This record gives sequence, structure tokens and C-alpha cells, in this order.
Amino acid sequence: MKLACVIHRFGADIAGGSEGHCRGVAERLAEHHDITILTTCARNHITWQNEYPAGLSKVGPVPVRRFPVVRTRSLHQFAEISELVFSGAASEPEQERWFRENGPETPGLLEFLERHGAEYDWILFWSFRYYETFFGLPLVADRAVLVPTAEEDPLIRGAGILGRFFTLPAGFLFLTPEEQALVAVRSPRPLAPSCVIGSGLEPARPGSAAFPAGLEIPTPFVLYLGRVDPNKGCETLFRHFLRHQPTAKRSVSLVMAGPANMPIPDHPSVRCLGFVGEAVREALLSNASLLIVPSRYESLSIVLLEAWNHGVPALVNGRCSVLKGQAIRANGALYYENFDEFARGLGYLLDHPDLARQLGQQGLAYVNSEYRWPQVMQKLELFLGSLSHPGHRR
Amino acid sequence: MTDRNASAVSVERLMHEIADDLRGERRERALARGGPAEYRDPEIFAAVEGVLRRAVESRDLDASLIPALLEDEEDSRLQTHLRFSSHRPLTGPVIIFIKRRILLPVMRWLYEYSLENFRRQQQVNRILFACLEELAIENARLQRLVKEQSGPR
Repeated sequence: MKLACVIHRFGADIAGGSEGHCRGVAERLAEHHDITILTTCARNHITWQNEYPAGLSKVGPVPVRRFPVVRTRSLHQFAEISELVFSGAASEPEQERWFRENGPETPGLLEFLERHGAEYDWILFWSFRYYETFFGLPLVADRAVLVPTAEEDPLIRGAGILGRFFTLPAGFLFLTPEEQALVAVRSPRPLAPSCVIGSGLEPARPGSAAFPAGLEIPTPFVLYLGRVDPNKGCETLFRHFLRHQPTAKRSVSLVMAGPANMPIPDHPSVRCLGFVGEAVREALLSNASLLIVPSRYESLSIVLLEAWNHGVPALVNGRCSVLKGQAIRANGALYYENFDEFARGLGYLLDHPDLARQLGQQGLAYVNSEYRWPQVMQKLELFLGSLSHPGHRR
Repeated sequence: MTDRNASAVSVERLMHEIADDLRGERRERALARGGPAEYRDPEIFAAVEGVLRRAVESRDLDASLIPALLEDEEDSRLQTHLRFSSHRPLTGPVIIFIKRRILLPVMRWLYEYSLENFRRQQQVNRILFACLEELAIENARLQRLVKEQSGPR
């Protein structure tokens, strides 16, 4: 098959969730299909500044065609339009403006889709919230397969225009059953054929438990891995953790590994490492007592899967239906919906190391059965094969 | 709290046990702080908590009935976003320009400070609407039950 993958940014050095998912899928599709990535020259997901050269190049085994972004993002204008759209009071043109302000605005990519879209059997679009997908998918809807990466966030609640958008693709690929249900509820018609494929992980490398020389991590520790940001639930995590400290039965540190976009509390039990490389990340996952995932908005928590990949149990925000669903399906994590449950769940996992270990092992068994690349790609190939091709439809 | 010999630990079962324990602790705390005497009955407390939990956790807060019954649904919402407009045909664009490009940047700190508090108030309002609706549903159910049990007159 001749396939294209449309994504807002793409590169071996880009770590975002949907970007990583797209790269993982594309690299494996390239083994059997003629595939091209259609993306932008942007690397920074805040400014969308052009950093990669426009035109054709290769990232690993995958050909990439890049289009320049015509303007960087105005954060103030974006904040203003977001406030309006998230309130649910925006008109349709205002909602469309949100997608334009969110960017990255690349009219060249849309022109390419208009001219050459029909040359592809299927065009896979990642993340409905970005310009390329929102404005590009309607141009090639008859051969478009959407990977929405939808979360229960204010955008999907406030932008009524998305209902119509979700009726357009020829097929959907979802990361979890909760995401599938969320999009189905927002669509005014039954969804086009869809499949929950999840995402793939390689087995954890043995012998990755030692920290690099010079890095001292207090043990035992609970781990947060990812961007340290109020939108990821970190503000509440700090509040809960520090409130729990004076009454905690045992001493434990909170290690935050990821770039910080917010002030970090100055407390001896909180250690913020900033961005960490692959070796430190692996060592942290191998040594953590448990992982905490405080985010309310997830379409699939890859970091939770990574913890289970290392046999580490987790404590997750139960107000996020995706995280709660993952915890229950895997029997690999406890969940909390308020401070009492957070404190009890944390204490319980630390006080019962055998049980915590068993939860971690159950998580690993779940990852082994559902989230290895061969299983993911088999589901994807079967799904693409089952879709009725646009050239054969009446 | 759980059967350690079982080959698999069920997270749902564990969470039920934790929730039951915490409910007991919350009830004791509420009574110690002078909460309603009805909470001496654990069943009453569990029922009250159940109704409120349904409102807070299970309901779609965007699907409340109360705003739809108001004369104008918009009246129930806090307007957190800014809209710049003017009815003056000639000076209007100048006024909007001044507001957007001069006044807003100067006042942005105040706008952003208020915004967070408005957001919180909006969330509290939405939860209160959901609680009221949940109580009304409970009341309607009870009324029906009483009617059915009292039989035809």
C-alpha cells in the first residue's frame, strides 16, 4: 500500500506522545509499505519556529516531506481564543480560529494534500487538535484514517464543531477503549470503522538499574516522569504529597524527572531533576518504589506502560477515565480521586511491598499481552486491510 | 485487607476495601468536628456520600438541567473570556485597538489572577448544579417508590 502519515512535527529527537506513536507506527509500516511522513519544519511545540529544512529528507528508514510554518504561535492570542472556546460559548468561526491559532499553520501541506492526496491508498492523521489534521483531513476524507489522541479536556467539551469533524474520516485508530467512547459520544452519527490499537513498547533492557556516577537519588522514592506542568496535574500532586508528609508512616522522596514549566516547592522530600536522558530514565524506572501519574487528561499513558514494563506499580489519577481504565484492566495500579485516597494509596503501596511488587508484575504481564509492537502492528494491518478502499467504493 | 494467597490481586477489590476504610474515617472525622448527628448511622452516611459522589464523579457537569431551565442559559455561566467590541462605527476600531494593544497588556496580570479564581468558581457552580440535580433525582425516585408501596387508593 502507498501510505502517508500526517503529523504536526516529526524527528528522532522529538519526545511527544503522539509524535512518538506516529514514529513507532511509521517505522514499522515502512517495513512492508511505501510510506511518507508529511509534516512541518517545526521542532518546538510552543513556538512552532521553523528549525528543520523544508523538503524531502529521511528520518531512520522513513522518508519525510517537510513544509514551512508560516507564522509562529502568539501565546496571548492563543490564550484568549482558548478561554473563549473552552467556555463553550464560541461561534463556529471562532472555533475554527482556535485551530488556526494552535497551529502549526502550514498551508503548503494542505496544498500538497489537495494535489497529491488521491495518490495514496490511506492517509493517517495524528491528533485532531492541530492545524494539519483539522484542516487537512477534510481535503482527503475518503481515504483518511484518524488517530485522534483525544482526551477529556476542555477543547473536546467546548468545541461543538468537532462533532461534524468526527463524521469525516473513513476510519479511526484509538489508543484506549475510553478514547473510543469519548469520540463516539461527541460524534452526531455512528463512528466510521475503528480499532483500538494502543501503542507498542520494547521489553525493558536488562541491567539498566544503575544510576550514572555522580547522580545521587534518595531512596526509597516515588517517581513522576514527564513534563512538570500544572496541566499534567503536578500542582495537585505537590499539594497532596506535601500535605501527606507530616503524617506519613515512612519517609519517602518524590523525584520529578522532566522539564519544569512551574515553580517547584522547596522541600527536602521533593527532588526535581529536570530533563533526564535515556540511561537515567531507565535507572529511575528500575529503582522507583512506584510511579505517580497525576494527569486528568490522557488518551493513553505511555509512561504508565513504561513503569509496568519495568514491573513497577503505580498510583494514578482516577478522575481520568483512561488512567482508571488502564489501572483496572492491568490490575497494575491503585487510583485516587481525592487527597484521602491519594494518601491511603501511597501509604498502602509503600507499606505492602509484596503486594506492590505483584501489582507491578501484573502490569508487566498486561504490557506483554497487549502492548508489544508485533501485536499493535498486527491489529493495525488487519484494520487497514478491512477498510473499504476509496477506489472501490460506490 | 486482601487475600495474599490469591494468585492475582484485583485492583477493583482493593480499591473497594480502601474506599470502605476511608468512608469510616471520614464519618468519624465529620462527627468529631460536630457534623450532623445523622452521621452516627453509618448507612445514612454511606447513602449521603453515595449521592454526592455520583454528582461529583459520575455526572457530566456540562449536562445539567438547571441552566437549560433559565431564561437564558448564558446567565448561569461566568464569562471568563474577553470580547472586544464597540458600537461606534468610526471611533470603535480605535477604542478596540487601545483596549487590546495598550490596556490589556498593562492589566494582564490582574486578568490572569482573576481568571483562575473565576475558573474555580465556575467549577464549584457546576458541581453544585449537579448535586442539586442528583438530590432531585433521588427525591423523584423516592416519591415513586412511596406511591407504589402505598398502592391504589
